[in-house]
This record gives sequence, C-alpha cells and structure tokens, in this order.
Amino acid sequence: MGLRKPLFLVLCGDGINCERETASAFVHAGGDAHIMHINDILAAPEKLAAYDGLAVPGGFSFGDELGSGQIMALKIRHKLGEAFSRFVEKQKPVIGICNGFQVLVKLGLLPFPDARERLCALAPNAHGGFIDRWVTLAPQAGSRCIWTAGIENALRLPARHGEGRIVFADGQADALHKKLQDSGQIPFCYETDINGSYARIAALCDPTGHVLGLMPHPEAFMHAECAPNAREEQPGDGFIIFDNIIRHLQGQEKSLEKRIA
Amino acid sequence: MGTGMTKTQRIEISERITGATPAARCRQAQEFFGIRLSGIDEIKVYKIAAETLPPAPVLHEVFADPVLQKLHIAATAMPAKTPAYAIEISFRPGVTDNAARAAEMALKQTGYDARVASSSLYFLYGDISAADAEKLSAEMLANPLIQKIDVMPYDDFMRQNRFDSVQLPTVQLAPAEKLFETINLAIGDAALETLSTARCLALSLAEMKHIRDFYAQNDTATARAAAGLPALPTDVELEILAQSWSEHCKHKIFAADIDYTGPDGQTRNISSLYKTFIKRATQDVRHARGIDWLVSVFSDNAGIVRFDDNIDLCIKVETHNSPSALDPYGGALTGILGVNRDILGAGMGAKPIANTDVFCFAPPHMPKKGRENEMPQGPKSPRQILEGVHKGVEDGGNKSGIPTINGAFFFDEDYAGKPLVFVGTVGVMPHKLPDGRSAAEKHIHSGDVIVMTGGAIGADGIHGATFSSLALDENAPATAVQIGDPLTQKIMTDFLLEARDSGLYRAITDNGAGGLSSSVGEMAQMSGGATLDLARCPVKYPGLAPWELMVSESQERMTLAVPPESLDALLALAARRGVLATAIGHFTDSGDLHVTYDGKTVACLPLAFIHDSLPPLRLDAVWEGARPRSAWRGGARADNRSAAPDMATALLHLLQSPNITSKEKWVRDYDHEVQAATHIKPFAGTQEDGANDAGAIWLYPHGGAREHTAVVGCGMAPRLSPYDPYLMAQYAVDEAVRNVLCAGGDPDMLCLLDNFCWPDPVKSAKNPDGNYKMGQLVRSCEGLYDICLAYGAPLVSGKDSMKNDFRGLDKSGQNITISVLPTLMVTAMARGRTGIARGADFKSAGDAIYLLGSPDVSFCASEYAHYFKAPDDAPLPLDGSKNMDMYHRLHGALKSGLLQSLHDVSDGGLLCAVAESMIGGRLGAHIDAMDARAGFGEAPARFIASVAQKDAPAFEAAMTGTDCRRIGQVSETPALVCSDMNIPLGDIIAAWKKGF
Repeated sequence: MGLRKPLFLVLCGDGINCERETASAFVHAGGDAHIMHINDILAAPEKLAAYDGLAVPGGFSFGDELGSGQIMALKIRHKLGEAFSRFVEKQKPVIGICNGFQVLVKLGLLPFPDARERLCALAPNAHGGFIDRWVTLAPQAGSRCIWTAGIENALRLPARHGEGRIVFADGQADALHKKLQDSGQIPFCYETDINGSYARIAALCDPTGHVLGLMPHPEAFMHAECAPNAREEQPGDGFIIFDNIIRHLQGQEKSLEKRIA
Repeated sequence: MGTGMTKTQRIEISERITGATPAARCRQAQEFFGIRLSGIDEIKVYKIAAETLPPAPVLHEVFADPVLQKLHIAATAMPAKTPAYAIEISFRPGVTDNAARAAEMALKQTGYDARVASSSLYFLYGDISAADAEKLSAEMLANPLIQKIDVMPYDDFMRQNRFDSVQLPTVQLAPAEKLFETINLAIGDAALETLSTARCLALSLAEMKHIRDFYAQNDTATARAAAGLPALPTDVELEILAQSWSEHCKHKIFAADIDYTGPDGQTRNISSLYKTFIKRATQDVRHARGIDWLVSVFSDNAGIVRFDDNIDLCIKVETHNSPSALDPYGGALTGILGVNRDILGAGMGAKPIANTDVFCFAPPHMPKKGRENEMPQGPKSPRQILEGVHKGVEDGGNKSGIPTINGAFFFDEDYAGKPLVFVGTVGVMPHKLPDGRSAAEKHIHSGDVIVMTGGAIGADGIHGATFSSLALDENAPATAVQIGDPLTQKIMTDFLLEARDSGLYRAITDNGAGGLSSSVGEMAQMSGGATLDLARCPVKYPGLAPWELMVSESQERMTLAVPPESLDALLALAARRGVLATAIGHFTDSGDLHVTYDGKTVACLPLAFIHDSLPPLRLDAVWEGARPRSAWRGGARADNRSAAPDMATALLHLLQSPNITSKEKWVRDYDHEVQAATHIKPFAGTQEDGANDAGAIWLYPHGGAREHTAVVGCGMAPRLSPYDPYLMAQYAVDEAVRNVLCAGGDPDMLCLLDNFCWPDPVKSAKNPDGNYKMGQLVRSCEGLYDICLAYGAPLVSGKDSMKNDFRGLDKSGQNITISVLPTLMVTAMARGRTGIARGADFKSAGDAIYLLGSPDVSFCASEYAHYFKAPDDAPLPLDGSKNMDMYHRLHGALKSGLLQSLHDVSDGGLLCAVAESMIGGRLGAHIDAMDARAGFGEAPARFIASVAQKDAPAFEAAMTGTDCRRIGQVSETPALVCSDMNIPLGDIIAAWKKGF
C-alpha cells in the first residue's frame, strides 16, 4: 500500500520565477505540489493549513528593489501574517531557495526567529554582482535540518544570485556564528568561497530544523540532463533534498499509523 | 490625487557594509577619465509624497535592512571623512523609475498610499576639481538624457535643507487646446520635406506626396465629410501613417524594386529582396526537402517550428541599436524585454524559455591615448556602451527568469558610431491549448474587444520607430530613450499565459514599435477594421495629445482581441494578478482604422491605404567587386599592423584579443540555467571555464520528449563584407550551423534567422555611397539564398536595421560619418538530442586530434591579419554540398558516441581552437608541424575533434569521403607542442583568461 503523497504549496507571482521547476522537484521526488499565486493565498489564507509543506522559490520577487526578498517579506508579514505564523509554529516544513531564502531572512524567520531585532542578512556578493556558477556544498556535522538529514556527501548545485553573502550584525559575527553552529543551524557551507559569505555559509535552518533557506538551487539539478557537463548519472544532486523531506513526512505518517494501531 | 495636503519626506539609505562597487568606480574613474578619486560613497535616496506620511518605524521597516543599512530621515553629518563633492542624480520627469515604483508597492503592503521618486546621492573624495566632478557625473554615474544631475561642493550641499524642501519630478504637460491639428500638404516639395523632418516623421518626399494625393482624391474627401472629419489630414492620421510606413515597421528597403548591377556589369531588376531571396529560400527549401515542421514563418511575431510531438518552438531575434547608443542600459533592457514580448505575442502566446544576445561593439579599450578626439560626439564611450548594454541584458533576462544560453561579443572600430545589439528569445507553446484550439493560430472576429494590458501610456518612446529609421545625430530626441520594467512585464507574462490557457482571448500581439498604431493597425487586418477610443487608455500622467497616445511606445504592453463574453473574466483575472488591463475599443469589419477621443473622431484611415497602397521604393544597387577596407575616418586604413611575430607570440596575442579572449567574467553575470532546463551551458570542461560553441535547452521540462533539446547558436563574419558580402553571408550561416552541430543539433532539423544591420543603402547627397551599400546588400542576400538551399535550412524569421550610421561631429568638432560594417548575424536553432554533445574540451591524454574540413585557409579578414602583417589573400569560397555531407556524418558520429570533443574552428584559426580545447580539458596537445598560415589562417566549415584511440578506426570510417585529418594527440604534459613551439598550458590559460 502506497503512502499518501505529501502536498506542498509552491508560491508564485510578483516576479518569482522558479515555481515550475520547484513544483516539479517535489513531484519527481514522489510528492505532490500546487503552484499558487501569492495573491490567491492572500485572498484565502485558510487554504494554507491544507498543505504539508511550503516552498518560497527563487527568482526576483519585486525585481529585487529595496533589497532581495524585502517587498515579498513585507507582503507576507502584513497580509498573510497569522496564517503563515501558525503554519511555521506547527513545524510544517518550509524551504526558501535563493530569493525565497532572502524572503525568510527578511521575515526574521531565519535564523533567529526569537530575536528582537534582525541579526543576520544576505548582503550583495563581495565581488559586487550577480553570479551563475556551480558550487560544491559541504554538509555540516551536527545540522538539525530535517531537509538535509543524513546527507553525508558533498552536493554539486548551481548558485545564481547577486545577494547571497551571509553577514551578521556589527561586532556579533563570531558569537552568532558559534550559536548557529552549536544549535545545528548550518546545514551547508560552500567548499570554496563564491560570494564572501561568512564562514562560507550557504544555507541556514531555524532552531527546529524545519525551516530551511539555501542560496544554491537544488530544484535545478534533479536530472543528469542538467549537470554541468551533461554526462552524469541520474538523479541529480538536488533530488536528495526533496526525497528527504518527503520520506520525513511519510515517516511521520508511518509512525503515527503505528501509534494509532 | 486626493484633495488633502500632500506632505513630503526625504529618506537616505547608507550602507553599513562596503561592497565592491566603490572600488570599481574609483578604478574606472582612473582608467577611463584619468581622474584619481580616493573614494566614493553611494547613498540611495527616496522622496515620498503622501497625504499621510508613514511614521519612522514604517520607513525603517520598508526601506532598510537593519543589518546592512542605515536610514536617515533628517540631516546628520553622515560621512566620517569630508567629501569634496556631493552629486545627486535623479530621473527626469516621466522616465521609468523602477525602484520608486517598487517602493510604492512596498508602502502599500504596510497600508500607505504614496508617490515615490528615487535618486542616488554620491560623495566623491579626493583632490578633484569641479570639472572632474561634472565629467564623472555626466559620463560615468549618470546619463544626462534621462537623468538630472546636481553637482555641489560638499559644504554647499550640507548648507541646504534637503530634508525640508523635497521636490519629486513631475511631468507637467500643457494640455492641448485642440484634440488634433490639421495639416496642409498642398505645399511645395521642399516644404513637404521640411515638414517630415520637423515632425520627426521620417517620411520621404515620395511618401509625403503619396499621402497628399490620397487626401486630394474626391472619394477621400467624400468619405471624410461623411465621417465628420476635416478634408485635411489630422496629426493623428499623419503619425499613424509615419509609424506604419517607417523602415522599422514596413521594411521598405527589403521590399524595394531594385536595379542591380553585379560584378559581370549586367543590370537586372529585383522586385523585393525579401520575396526574391528570403521568403523564396524558405519556400524552395521546404519544397525541395518536403519539410513538414514549419508551423508559421514570416507571418507572425516570431517563426514557429515543430521539433517535437507535444510542443512547438518559436524564435525571434531583434536589434536595438539606436536606443543602445544613447542609453546603453535602458536601450538594451528595452530591447530584450521587447523581443520577449514578440514571443509572448507569437500565435496565441508562447512562454520564453531562452535568450540569446550578440553584441557588435567598438573595442573595449578604444580610444587609444591621444586619439580621444577621433571619437564621435553623442554616443557613449565604447566601455560605457559595453557595460551598460551588458547590464541591461543581464537585468532583462535574469529578472524575467529567462536563461541566457547563447551569445557572442564582436569588436571592431567600425561600431564606434553605432553599436549593434542583437537580442533573441526562444519560446515554447503546446500544439493545442486546453480547449483544443491550435496554439499557433490567432483569429479575430468583428465585435471582439480590444484590450490593452501591461503598463500605462506616457510620452516615453514617442517616435521610437521613426527615430530608429534615421541616422544618429546630436539632436536625437530624448523621448526616444526608454527604460524597461522587467517586473511589470514578468507579472503581465504570468497573467497572459494563465489567460491563454483559460481561453480568455482570441488573438494577441505586442505593442512594440509604433505603439497602438501598429498593434491595433495590424490586428485590424484580421477582422477588417477597428475602432478605439484613446481617452480610455490608462496614462502615466495627463496632458498627452491623441497622436501621442496613438504612437507612444511606452513599454510592457500587449494588445488582445477578447470575445465580448470573456471580457469580464479576463478583466477580473487581471485585477487578481495586479495587472492593468483596459478595454479600449473593438474590432470591426468596416475596412477602416477609426480612432476617437472621448467619442470624437480624431482619425479614420482605410486599412487598405495604410497597409497596401505604398508603391515600392525604387533603388539602384551596384557591386563591382572587392574594395579595400577603409576606416571610418575616411580614406584607406593606415597599415600600422606589426610585422609577423614568431608563432608562439602570435598565438598568445590572439588568445587575449577581445574577439577571442574568455568572456567568462561577463557571461557569469547572466543566469543561464533558470527554469532548470539548460542542457548545454556556456561553459564546459574540468574547471567549467572552457567555452562551449552553442547552448541547448532540454525540452522535457517544457513538455517535450525526454531525448529532445533545442540547440541555439549564432554566426557572423562582418569583416568579410568589404571583400565579398556573398561569402560574408555564407560564412555567417556556416558558423551558426557548425556551432549548433557541436552542441548536438541535427542538421536535418535546423532553421535559421537572418538579422541584417546595414549602413544606409539609399543614395542621397549625404550618402553618396548608397548604391554600393545597396549592392552589398543584394550580394549578401544572394549568398544567403544559395547557402540556405545548399544546407537545406529554411529561414523562419528575420529583421533588418538599415540606418546604422553616425553622422555628426567628432570630439574635436570635425564632421565625421561612421558606418557599421555591413553585418548579417545568423542565428541557428536545431533539434538536438540529450547526451550526444561532448563539449569543446579535450577529455583524455592519448586521444587523437583531428582537423575536420579543408586544410586550405586564407588570411583575408582573419583575426591574425587584423593585428599582424599578412599576405593579401582572397577569401575562400564555400562548398555547400560537400560541407553538408560532412555535417551529416559528424552528427552520426556524435550519435554513435565516437567523439570525445568537438569544437568549431573560427576566429584565430586552428591553433586558437586547439588551445581552447586544451583549456577546457586542462590537457596538453602535440600537433603536427605547421606554419603560421596553417596555424592562424581562417576558412569556413572546419572543426577540431578529439577521438579515443580505440574509436579512431570507426570514426575515420564514419567520416569517409570527407576532409578528415589526424593532426596530433592530446597529451598529459600541460603544453602545446607544435613545430618549434612549446607553450606551457599555464601561459595559454593566462592569455585566454585575461578578458577585458
């Protein structure tokens, strides 16, 4: 008997542009996904509760004006506030990829949701411009992120961003970095520096491990056909992240079934 | 606008974390202007006007990231050091201000309705003069055509109360007293010509007389009296005709009746180059090969082909040359967004899935020191054009979520007067829409509603089409410069594809050149007429006259034909998606284009007169043979080339020349894999820094078959034009075909696009050489036709741009004319197969290296001969059927997995191609001894391939009958060894990666 397919909501609209491949990634990994315009979910916030997980995809929401992710974060905070908070409080998995990561950071959800003020940001790349380059991601020991649990080998994924450099509030970088390390909130670092990110951080999760933000694009490498030299084995390295979360949700379901039985 | 008191607020945002930009700007100031800055700060400024101003906490929340930025809402002594100058750069009234528009949306999320304007404040540090500050602001930081610049000594700047008196740029147009003017055309020839120039109509005397004669007819007078119109033409009508008949829209030169005298001295008549060579090439190829995959060619906004059982591909390449010369960023951005709309307006609308961009520029380090005065007054410097165009294309592609998968940079001094900016887009559409209609066809019924969607209309872009049909001079109108808005267009694109799949409209086209005049004027032909009311069009600000509304090219707009029963649903969907959509009229079968303003008729023209009445131009053309290439300064080019150096020096020199050197620094700024379907990327090899020859999109994620790709490549050879435009065209096609072949394209499923960018080919007092340039055009069309037939490749779309000359003054005040090299840029798109292309990079030591194609080469128009003294060779002809046989065999060998690498031999010849394959694979090569001619001479139809030793016999068998020579071997030793050369791979990499 097959397990129920977890259902993900993938946001689109306002300049988001990776919704299709993000939804396809969930489906390819055995889940289901609905692409929904942000305005439609704002019109009926109660719909959010029906989903098992949420993805804020990459792109250029609002053209990156006022800072990447800034206006989308304002829109979510002011127009979707409570429904969104409830979703996160229930520890339903949330992923923000690239622009989505920037949105989650501007929302304050990553990496310190309980801090009074924002302490971390994604600054413009150190070299000053956009970059499209494949990167090697080294999984970090002790990460509590449910999306990346069990990943031991380095992943190759494309990074495509202009504002991906993790920085911390003035004078607190070392302490905040240590705090993130201690609480297992750094799932991936770049193997080599590409944007000047502090300690080469490429991804962050919240203290519960359910909310993941990462700059590189796992949804863009689900198939060998998209590998840099187009001659690798199936599947692509991004698959494991989507496969992980679907197994995680199905595992929860399985254990729930067991308990009920 | 409300009636309450409007309050204003200025906010300034400074960065807490220094980025790379200030240092880069200081370097630029030194390198390009010789001005030494010790530092530069940029502060973003927003000016807000609202009845209720947002309080400080809201301003902080909306405008600043507390970790990255500091927000200032009152004067504070900001910089720690004292700057020398403060420069504030704001937009002129009416110029698109994307940051401000986004800020308005952001404030709306927090419950505040406000009008916002953005500007940038710079603090310059160092021992600089007022003149230095003026120069840097006008030439490096701002574009005076679209921006207002205030330069102030820092002390003066601090003394003013900038937070207290805040002015937002506001368009103030004196409302027209009348809805239209009538224009008397019963005037002399000279007066008609003056009228055409003064109103920026770009109509010739013959065309002006044609209009005059039409209005003088009794039938016209009767019809006009009946319609309540004056007997004389209205300004609205004259403008509609000028736009519709502009070279940009009507392609009069390609449709002209030509007397052509060829090299044999015989004169023959050619009725329309377009029909004789372009369209006929496609018809003849289609007929000869029995091709059944051409869905729509030359009749729509883009060519549509069927390479797959589920989806169709459409492709279009445009040029945006004149606007890019005046405002490189805005011009290029507007260009790429414009060609995206061509795709969105093809058939029932296609989704853009890939961009391709080709730039022809003056060399990036031009002018050389001491020769600054030779540069033209008006166009931006070569470096500014390069950087501005690049950034425009980057933002246009990246912010729209369209991967840039292919492109080229080509540098030559003859592009110093006008850059050529080719922007292309590939789109995908299903064969059938969800309701069963064909996605490639549009129909309009009389009674369908005309809906304009996207942006509102402003004065920006008035006369864009007629302006591009004129040579550049110092008086080019600033309203012809526009800045695209990728966000508005992306939101509109998402909405339109949703509306398409919901079956809410019957036809769609883009509002490009000529604005509503063109889009409605052309769509009206499908139903037989249209009537629209300009007063219903949403505007950016009041005061625009009806003629301005009719021809404005304000961007990000599409026009739809909507069945009346679907109108409510369409408008409701638009509202939900935050997209402007307005019903402005309806299509009819009256035979007329009828335009009203608030119910009062301002124009009524028979469609037949607009579209079918203009007699073809009559032109003479002569091409008597090769002419030595002369420089744009007039006269023969002084030969200041160096004597031929030793081969190693020559190779390293060529590898770092702008046309050959790595463009990685630039190309990585483009997102080349958004949409997660890029199969062949711009870079290959072990370090992913070796160049590939073409790009390929995997069609499976777009609904196509798992094994299918769309391969896109390009080719051109403009330096051959002075010698033989016939071969120039053929080389361009051949290079494009070879590039897509390398990326796995099937030579049997391959289509071509032609983009001609020519110097003015119409003889006049200003342009005494017109007949010769027209002769070059005829000759290139002949070459194009012949190669299309020989390669069996149909043309599916194309465009021409015919006035690529600068006529004006140089910086010393002397008159100059700079004409571009006659340039045909060819784009090839083929169906490819996943997994068969192996990249240009060598894979393993020991693999055999082959030269495919003839060993005969020529120095004519070669990169080598551009820098070094070389014999005056004639260009080599090209053997189409022989080449095609080789390409078929090569494609077969790729499918059989017999190759390890494949790379086309182009600029710089054989040794440059070998060096590039070495760089990709980080391997060495031993090449048989050869001289400089064999090493650096150029010829079409050649490749460098590497093959594993075990596959060599099978490969040679597969290539039987073709020119296929083993010329060496890939080696572990990191060096290129050939004759007495032994160049370390490290030196080769360093030279090639030097960039610019």
